[in-house]
Formats: sequence, C-alpha cells, structure tokens
Amino acid sequence: MVAGDAILGHVVTFGRVLHEAGLEVGPGRVADALRALDAVDLARQEDVYFSLRQTLVSRHDELDLFDRAFSAWFLRAPVLPPVRSRSSAEVETRVGQAVDRLRSRETEEEADPGDPLELGASGHELLRDKDFAELTGDELRRLRELIARIGRSRPQRHSRRRTPDARGDRLDVRRMIRRSLRAGGDPLDRPLRARKDVPRKLVVLCDVSGSMDSYARALLLFLHAVVGTGRGVEAFAFGTRLSRLTPDLATRDPDAALARCTEAVVDWGSGTRIGASLREFNEVYGRRALSRGAIVLIVSDGWEREDPELVGREMAKLARAAYAVVWVNPLKGNPQYQPLAGGMRAALPYVDRFLPGHNLRSLEELAAVLAGIERRHAA
Amino acid sequence: MEFETIDELEEALRGADYLPDRGLATALYLSLALSKPVLLEGEAGVGKTEAAKALATVLGARLIRLQCYEGLDVAHAVYEWNYPRQLLHIRAAQEGTLREEELFGPEYLIRRPLLEAIDSDGPVVLLIDEIDRADEEFEAFLLEVLSDFQITIPELGTIAARRRPAVILTSNRTRELHDALKRRALFHWIGHPSIEREIAIVRLRVPGIPERLAGEAAAFVRELRGLDLAKPPGVAETIDWAMALNALGRQEIDAEVVQQTLGSVLKYREDIDAVQDETLSRLVEAARTAAAAG
Repeated sequence: MVAGDAILGHVVTFGRVLHEAGLEVGPGRVADALRALDAVDLARQEDVYFSLRQTLVSRHDELDLFDRAFSAWFLRAPVLPPVRSRSSAEVETRVGQAVDRLRSRETEEEADPGDPLELGASGHELLRDKDFAELTGDELRRLRELIARIGRSRPQRHSRRRTPDARGDRLDVRRMIRRSLRAGGDPLDRPLRARKDVPRKLVVLCDVSGSMDSYARALLLFLHAVVGTGRGVEAFAFGTRLSRLTPDLATRDPDAALARCTEAVVDWGSGTRIGASLREFNEVYGRRALSRGAIVLIVSDGWEREDPELVGREMAKLARAAYAVVWVNPLKGNPQYQPLAGGMRAALPYVDRFLPGHNLRSLEELAAVLAGIERRHAA
Repeated sequence: MEFETIDELEEALRGADYLPDRGLATALYLSLALSKPVLLEGEAGVGKTEAAKALATVLGARLIRLQCYEGLDVAHAVYEWNYPRQLLHIRAAQEGTLREEELFGPEYLIRRPLLEAIDSDGPVVLLIDEIDRADEEFEAFLLEVLSDFQITIPELGTIAARRRPAVILTSNRTRELHDALKRRALFHWIGHPSIEREIAIVRLRVPGIPERLAGEAAAFVRELRGLDLAKPPGVAETIDWAMALNALGRQEIDAEVVQQTLGSVLKYREDIDAVQDETLSRLVEAARTAAAAG
C-alpha cells in the first residue's frame, strides 16, 4: 500500500527527529503511533497531532520540544534553532573554561593519589578542619571518600507500608491463620508487622555562583554521594537561574558527574539571584509538591544580587511546604561571621538549622543534623 | 457501546454533560481503539477524574475506582482474606479436621478494586486515581497487572480478565512515574480550557445561570490564573464559584460579591490575601470588560 508506506516512512523519520532532539522514542512507541494513526482521520491535522503526541511523548516538559518538532517536520514551518544544545559559542567557551579550571586545580600539585584510610591520623585531623577553599586538588581527592561517606547517610522516616517484623506492633493476621492450620487451628504463633523506615525526601539547592566557587567543588562531591543513595533525592544548582542536576549527578563516577554538572549549569561563576531561583523552584517544582514533607537543604553564602525581600517571600513559601529547611553557609565557618548579607538576613527567619559546611568536620555535623532533624526550630 | 470515530465519542461525552477538548477526546478514543491505558496529567481541578466517570457513562460500563495513597498494598488494592470469618470457621470445625481449601475459598475472599475490575463479566472503566501518591513498590505491581490483566492468588490460582477494562490513570506529578509504566500508557496533558469552553462547561453544570454571569465568572478565573498563586483555580473551582454566585441570585459580578465568595475559588490563605483591594477591583474590571467584549 503506497499511502501506508509513505506514512510509515514519515513517522519513522519523525521518531528519529525527536530522538535527535533528545526525546526517548523506542520502536514500541513508533509502533503505537502507527496504530493510532490507523485509527483516526488523517485529514484532520489536530487528530494527527494528538495521536502522535499521546503515543510518542510521556512527560509534560517534553511537550514544548514535541510541538517544535511537529511544526518543523509536518507543517514545514521554518526550522527553529536546535532545542537541545543550548550552548551558544559564548556559553561553550565559558563551560570549557570552567572545566579547565577544575582540571588544573586537580593536577596543580601532583602527589600520590593517597587512600583516605591511609591518611595519617594527624594529617587526617588537619584536613578535617581545613577550609574547603584552601584545599589543594590532591587534598580534596584524599577527602573524597570521607565526603561521600557523609553524603550517604540519609534521614529516615516511617513509611505507611508495613512489612513482617518480629518486633512489630501489629498482628499479621494472614500469616497467623496460615500457621495456625499446622496446629489444628490454634494460633500458637503470633507474627507481627511493623512500619518500615524509608529515606525521607531530600531536596538540595546548591549555589554555584562566583562567590561560592571555592566550595562548590567539595559540595558537589557531597551532593553526588547524596543523589547516589537512591530515589527521593533531588538536586538543583542555581546562580542567576535554576537548573536541575539530579540526572547529571546520577552517573556513578563523581568526576564525570562533576564535568557534566559544569556543563549543565551555564551560569557557573556569574552573579546570584537567590530570590528568583527560589521562585522558579517553588513555581515549577514546589507546585508539584516535590518539596512537601521533604528536608530542603540550601547551600549558599546568601549574597543576593537583586531583591532581598523576594528571598524572604519565597523562603516563606518553601518553608511552609517543607518538613524542615537547613541552610548551609560556608562563611559561617568564620567565628567573626555575622549574617549581614541582605539575602541571608531575609532568609533566616524561615531556616530551621543554620550550619557552616566549610570543611569536613562541619559536613559531618551536617550529616548528624540531617539524621536527627525534628520539625521546626530546635537550635 | 462502540465508537467508530473521535467525533462519535465526543458527541456521546457531550451527551453525558462532559465537554472534552479535542485532545482529550482523542486520548480516550485511542485508549479504546488501541486497548491501552491512558495516563492523564494536569493541574488539580482540570477534570481528570470526571473524564473517567463520563467515559464509564457513555460506555454503559461500571466505574471502578482505586484511590491511591502512600502505603497502598495488595490487601487494599486487590484482595484480602476475610479473617474473622476464617477464625469463626476454624472454631466451628474444632472437633473435626480442617482442610486448607475450606478456609481459602471464594466465600472468604474480600474483593478489592483491581480484582473487581479484572474479574468482571460486564464492561468496566478502571480509574486508578493519583497514582503518584502510591509508593514505588505498588507501581511495580500495577505494571504487572496492566501488562497481563491477570492476578494470581496463591491459594486460588490465576484469574485472567475475560474482557480488558478501559484503564485511566491520573497523576498530579508529585513525583515522576516509572518509565516502564509510562511506556505502557498513552499520555495526555490536560491544560486549562479555553475561555469559550470554560463558559460552556459552567453553563452546562450550573443550569439556569445567567449568560453574563457565566462569562464574567470564567473571565475572572482566567485573570486569577495569570497571577502568581500557590494554587491556581481549576475548572472545578470555577463551577463551584459559579454555583455560589448563581445561588446568591447575581446577574453579574462586582468587587463586593467576589470578596464574599473568594473562598470557593482560592483555597489558600496566602492566595486570598494576594487578591484584595486594588488587585481585586482591577481583576473584576478586567473580567467584566473581557466578558462584555466576548
């Protein structure tokens, strides 16, 4: 059938266009699209559009991309600039420079890679208290495993799901009846069920603007370990705007993750718009209740380039949805530090715990706080 | 009831007092034609659950609803044994010997929504509501059920669907669903309706409402959606509000009546606080102008 072949060709090629643009379009979806087109009136553009969209796309945030591709391919609209690669020449240069900067720091002082466990007790202790900003690439590499270990301890909460547990608080009636049959109907055994503990949702918002540059590297290692603990963790980076990092940090190798992070956060090293970034988070992710019941961890020095009042308003919204808000500010490591920056002052009333996080010891403190956190102010 | 075209289904849904846009009608039609579940996503109150109810009505099918929540497990979604009855039976049989089959027969089975939907002779629309609230263990289990349309009860054996239910899943996107589940379903995003369609919905759901009031109410809600609100109102809120205004015997809106009834449109204290005084007067004016022009 000639017409049928033409459609087949069109759809298969369109699938490839979407794939190129970054949408996951497997053969199963293309087959569904063909079946759908077979069931609708091809003369109606709207029906063709929805049939393809509903079979080829499964996420709201992919709709925009699909629409552009559909216009370009089927409606022969003028081809829009490629959607996926947002790297203009300028951005590319900036990203390249950022990667180079990270790499050169790591090779700055060539020494043996060093195993953290072989680190002499005294050297270890020294590094524990050394400010992240003053670490050499080699020292940071030695601390990597320790940082990761801290990141892997996740706060828990009781799930509503019950599983068999000898120390449980509810009778497991199904199992009791089954077992009682062996004893001729007498419930000799009383199996129990208990709520199991599951990791509490954790949302991390990390400031990677210029003023945080020296801490970002260590903190990204920490974030990488946190994201590696499984589902229920979301990580974002912000500077002048917000960027979701979870997929980038999900790769196994911290170095690769670090490089990919740099690429994803195009405003690496530029000014900070904390309020605007928080608003973007609240509007896009908060509305989807991503932060509801979660511990929200914000890592930033609180230097707001624009409107501190906006920071306060958005922090209020965030704090209402969250289980608790923890703010980590590396500047707090300095005993003379006073939260004078406008953004920091505006945010503090909504922060449950305010911690330094400028060296290994303070990261350990952070992990302990996260593990034992209770709702609202204690400190 | 079978539908040959999207137009036929659209027409039937209208007959059931549900006004779908073309995209939703296409999604429901394809779900039937391809016998695939359809996943409906969208802001709260855009009519995801209503769509399933309307589909059941036009198909002459039974609507079986599984409301998801965290901790939902097989005992509440599929089946459970009736333990008190089993215990009574054990007690009654104390003298003789008891065979296991006696205790795990169909008469001791409590059938929950998923089993009901699979093991049904008549047509069924299965609504799995707010799947994003269930935990991942349950999502994995559901994926199995939706692939095979059969359920295994160890004591009784496997029960396979004699006819596949039409399946509608809804999600409010409080978390991302697993890719495997998404691949199995058609996906449709329901946005807020166009102003014309919203007015039509209000007039359909609030019989006797003055045309002008319906237009102004829809236009005002549209203005609200343009603000930066914690929870922008959906169609459900527009209907509730229009009902309230109509019950008050209003012909049109003004700042005073909007102020009194705002609680049926906006559900958050901070949102109500944000729409006061000048903002409120400005929106009322804008809505009245828009309605008069439309």
